[in-house]
Amino acid sequence: MNKTLNRRDFIKIMNATTTGVAIVASGITLTTFASVNEIPVTNKKRWGLLIDTNKLTETDIDGMVNACQQEQGWGTETHSTASQKPGWIKKLKVKDKATNKVSNLALMCQHCEEPPCVDVCPTNASMKREDGIVLVDKHLCIGCRYCMMACPYDARSFVHETLNNQKEHMPRGKGTVEACTMCVHKIDKGETPACVESVNSEAVIFGNLYDESSQINQTLKIIQSSQIRSDLNLNTGVRYSGI
Amino acid sequence: MNRFLVVFLSLLVSSVFAYIDEYANLGEQASSIKVSGKVFHESPSIIRKMHPELLRHKRNKTLRKGIRTNEYSLKGCVSCHVNKNKINNQYYSVDKKGQFCSDCHKKVGVSFDCFSCHRTVPRESLL
Ligand code: SF4
Ligand code: SF4
Repeated sequence: MNKTLNRRDFIKIMNATTTGVAIVASGITLTTFASVNEIPVTNKKRWGLLIDTNKLTETDIDGMVNACQQEQGWGTETHSTASQKPGWIKKLKVKDKATNKVSNLALMCQHCEEPPCVDVCPTNASMKREDGIVLVDKHLCIGCRYCMMACPYDARSFVHETLNNQKEHMPRGKGTVEACTMCVHKIDKGETPACVESVNSEAVIFGNLYDESSQINQTLKIIQSSQIRSDLNLNTGVRYSGI
Repeated sequence: MNRFLVVFLSLLVSSVFAYIDEYANLGEQASSIKVSGKVFHESPSIIRKMHPELLRHKRNKTLRKGIRTNEYSLKGCVSCHVNKNKINNQYYSVDKKGQFCSDCHKKVGVSFDCFSCHRTVPRESLL
């Protein structure tokens, strides 16, 4: 049946449609606002990593280093000598002298709860976010390298040469110190650090240490794990098992 | 006397035009926004005077508190004020001679070092 619309019907329909659009549109606006982080991070969370050295192969570690380089853009410094080149993650072999058991470790900034690097920094450039991630504010860093000396894990490196084409999310420059950021730019978007993503097994678990339902929290409850140099009482955010 | 006045006026006028020509490099996207009549910044005079403070405020919020909004982000400035070389399809760095940031800084004689760490062209994937 062909019904012709009179003017009144037409206005009614149009009104209904516009209201519909307005509702949908406002819904979209709300979700877009919610998805950007406008709320400061709090100490209700503490981000951490659990690395199982029994499951972690050497290839895994190479993959992690590679993924970190790709994500953050370090490692292509052409003028620096080998000892000057940045290294945000290091591949370490540790040997138990009694048993000769060799373990492979991926060692990055341990995101200490009581970070010595922050204690010694004269400019407040070394800093810990409320959620436990330790960063360098390169706007304030004067390149004195006290933090590099204070860090028991040799986690930080100094940029020795002029750089360009940095990653958009990771400004880096000559004369400042840098270290693993736990991929803070990804975490803030609800994503996982690049090194964790690169490992196919369960060898590296990332999550909120305080969240009872998180995989990292639950695993830490049932397995034996350790902090490297736990004698220093730094309460690191990166934990290891199998060593 | 009149002759001097003519010379003086023509110098004045030509310097105004030179000024407009030399510092008109707004960047491609920014220029088209300007042409379309949309206003993005509060006002050019505020943004000219206040952009260091606005950026400083934003940088502290982003780095220390994890507040990652786009407002006043340096990424945003770069992606809007950058120009592309039409021949090889590559971006010019915003801090290079003749480009938006460096031109204005040069005019007012203020050096800046944002770009010794920050990327001078938009994101890799946009290239
Ligand atoms: S591992 Fe080193 S750089 Fe990282 S928080 Fe601890 S002391 Fe600082
Ligand atoms: S090198 Fe930079 S971050 Fe490290 S202690 Fe000195 S000012 Fe602080």
